Amino acid sequence: MSATLSQPSPLRRAAQRALANPTTTFGAVIVLLIVLGAVFAPFITPHDPTEQDIISRLQPPSVDYWLGTDQFGRDIFSRLLYGARISLVVSLGAIAVSIVIGGVIGMISGYVGGKFDLIVMQAMDVLLSFPSLILGLIVVALLGPELVNLVIAIALTAIAPFARIARAPTMALKERAFVEAGHALGYSHARIIFLHILPNILSELMVMGSLWMATAVRVEASLSFIGLGVKPPTPTWGGMTRDGFENILDAPWLAIFPGVAILLLVLGLNMVGDGLRDATDPKLRNE
Amino acid sequence: MKTKLLAGLAAMILGAAPLAAHAQQGPTLRVGMAAQDVGRLDPHFAVSTIDRVAVAWMFNGLVRFRPGSINPAEIEPDLAERWESSEDGKVWTFHLRRGVQFHGGFGEMTADDVVFSLQKAGNAGSSAFSADYRAFQSVEAVDPYTVRITLRENVPSLLGLVTNYSGGYIVSRRAVEQRGADFARNPVGTGPFAMERITPNTSAELVANAQYFRGAPQIGRISYRFIPSDASRDLAYQNRELDLNYGRADQTWVNRTRQVPNTTVDVFEPGELTILSLDVSKPPFDDIRVRRAFAHAINRQEMVRWRGPDVSREGQSVVPRGYLGFTADNGLLPFDQARARALMAEAGHANGLSVRVIHTQLPEMLNGMQVIQQQLRRVGINLDLQVVEHATFHQQIRQNLSPLVYYAAARFPVADIFLSQFFHSRSIPGTPTAVTNFSHCNVADSQIDAARVSTNREEQLRLWAQAQRLLVENVCAVPVMETLLVFARRNNLSYGYELRGSMSLGPLITEQTRLN
Repeated sequence: MSATLSQPSPLRRAAQRALANPTTTFGAVIVLLIVLGAVFAPFITPHDPTEQDIISRLQPPSVDYWLGTDQFGRDIFSRLLYGARISLVVSLGAIAVSIVIGGVIGMISGYVGGKFDLIVMQAMDVLLSFPSLILGLIVVALLGPELVNLVIAIALTAIAPFARIARAPTMALKERAFVEAGHALGYSHARIIFLHILPNILSELMVMGSLWMATAVRVEASLSFIGLGVKPPTPTWGGMTRDGFENILDAPWLAIFPGVAILLLVLGLNMVGDGLRDATDPKLRNE
Repeated sequence: MKTKLLAGLAAMILGAAPLAAHAQQGPTLRVGMAAQDVGRLDPHFAVSTIDRVAVAWMFNGLVRFRPGSINPAEIEPDLAERWESSEDGKVWTFHLRRGVQFHGGFGEMTADDVVFSLQKAGNAGSSAFSADYRAFQSVEAVDPYTVRITLRENVPSLLGLVTNYSGGYIVSRRAVEQRGADFARNPVGTGPFAMERITPNTSAELVANAQYFRGAPQIGRISYRFIPSDASRDLAYQNRELDLNYGRADQTWVNRTRQVPNTTVDVFEPGELTILSLDVSKPPFDDIRVRRAFAHAINRQEMVRWRGPDVSREGQSVVPRGYLGFTADNGLLPFDQARARALMAEAGHANGLSVRVIHTQLPEMLNGMQVIQQQLRRVGINLDLQVVEHATFHQQIRQNLSPLVYYAAARFPVADIFLSQFFHSRSIPGTPTAVTNFSHCNVADSQIDAARVSTNREEQLRLWAQAQRLLVENVCAVPVMETLLVFARRNNLSYGYELRGSMSLGPLITEQTRLN
């Protein structure tokens, strides 16, 4: 019994296996650096990210402005680090919300089964039929471009996949002996679902969450690019790319740096997600 | 058999007559415009820049600004050959040019079309400019080539209301009645170019009107291309896919484009005056100390430095510079951050103030507003920008949902129009005669009304000056800057006149315009 307790969790084991892969480690380092940059932005950034200096507008990279300045003379490097906060908060928040809501829907649906499962899954299929960006665009256009609304919009696009991921193993697990034992002991359905089934599917949800984080970053950047992001002067990578695009012939660095930042974060998250997925895949593990 | 063949040939030629009138030989002028599509090309509804530019190529007024000029003193005959007015200035008679043909075989332009057009322009249901024609008592056709306009009261410039601008364009009565709502996309005028087709997200194609009364245009076609992205349009221009390009009023853009080989950058009037209208009927702007703090916080010099000295200049009054009646002697509050902070403290906002403002996502206006936002932040005023799509912005500011409105406009260059539309109580949004008085100010109503009907020019100028002083003293609005129009053209494009200004907000393409 004590030996069982001291064993690492499936998620931890998957993480250990994933980090043994250099590609995953590289991705994790990228993500970690961006997270550290965002967290410690007030101590790292040389300028106020919203302070304008009209005289210094559209400056190329220099000692004073490491990545140059934008059309208002604002420091690109400082804006990039503060912009990372928005990307990370929105994507993390959205994925957390969709894991919770999608996971609960999927588990209940799989556990209850029958017509209820059919109806819920068809509703999820309807949600899945909308491309992420279009669904996000509709929600933000209706609710307004606020940080919370962005989280809701992106979360909504990811609920259906998480519901599907949670449902399949729940259907298999509910036939297992430990669930039947729970029934025999008179446990409530809620207790069985959340205390006995959930721990068994959590690693799959977390792995999928890391992959969807990349999608969330991309959708947030896309919404900001088309002007539906957080309102100015708050920096967002998508908004910075849009501003840069309009000035691309005069100051190409304006679009390049935020574009590269989006690329790196999405790449890093995908590398980590792929590594975790491979590490939890029994077929690949056996190979 | 031979007779039948000849008869068929004759029928084909006759049937093709309206088209033949347009089948003008000549090069195609390719114009790049920052839009996805034209809006309404019924000239009495053409309010956006993209629509105004194209409408001016297709329509005429009774009189016109001399091409390249926006000086009302240089107004010259257009569809009317001559005109006279009664001694009291209330009855005007216009004698029309004979033989002027509408596009597409819609026949000769007569007094009936002129009466119809001016009545249409004065009707709120069929014109966006109806408020300008409030003084019209009647418009009658004396005979097929003579039109009489009778005014209820004097107006500062009657010719300004019948010129090739806004409601002054003459449309074909038969075409409007026949095409109904479709007229907005299939307009019929008398100008040098006629609409051939519009393809949304691509272009509007215009063809030369060979029957144009001043002579057939030297350019055969105009391809008016919709390229909303500045960068894409600039690349198209650099790759020689455009001859004329709508430019960005930005010094960096002007400097870079001037370096493009064989290119001339035209910077011309009218300057669009950006004003910040403060709604005096609601908190926090019902407190004049807050309004004064706003006025002191605005750094016009910085705004001009940001836009660039070639394309912008400081706003000096609530009426643009150069307009008849403009005065800079109006007591405009200077930039003074310390005074702004003191006034805020006096008004009970020592810890700052946040104002929720609705604004457009249109890059040019959003960028300007972000500079203002920063300037206000320096004195403790936070503008909480609610950025919405441009059409929604126009809709919401007209529902009085924003206590501060950033608006840029150019109008007929007489103070009366600007003052009436932006500062007379009749123009307050929500009233039946609403225009664009977002400040809800009424402090200069009597001066604006008295100046409009005055027949004494000196008295009129004095009243307009007084109105500006009152509006500035009460900080109904804060003038920010004037932004000029910018287009780039290839050196082989010659307008046929010197471009100093254009009321249509784009270069006029006339029968004289050449593309070598």
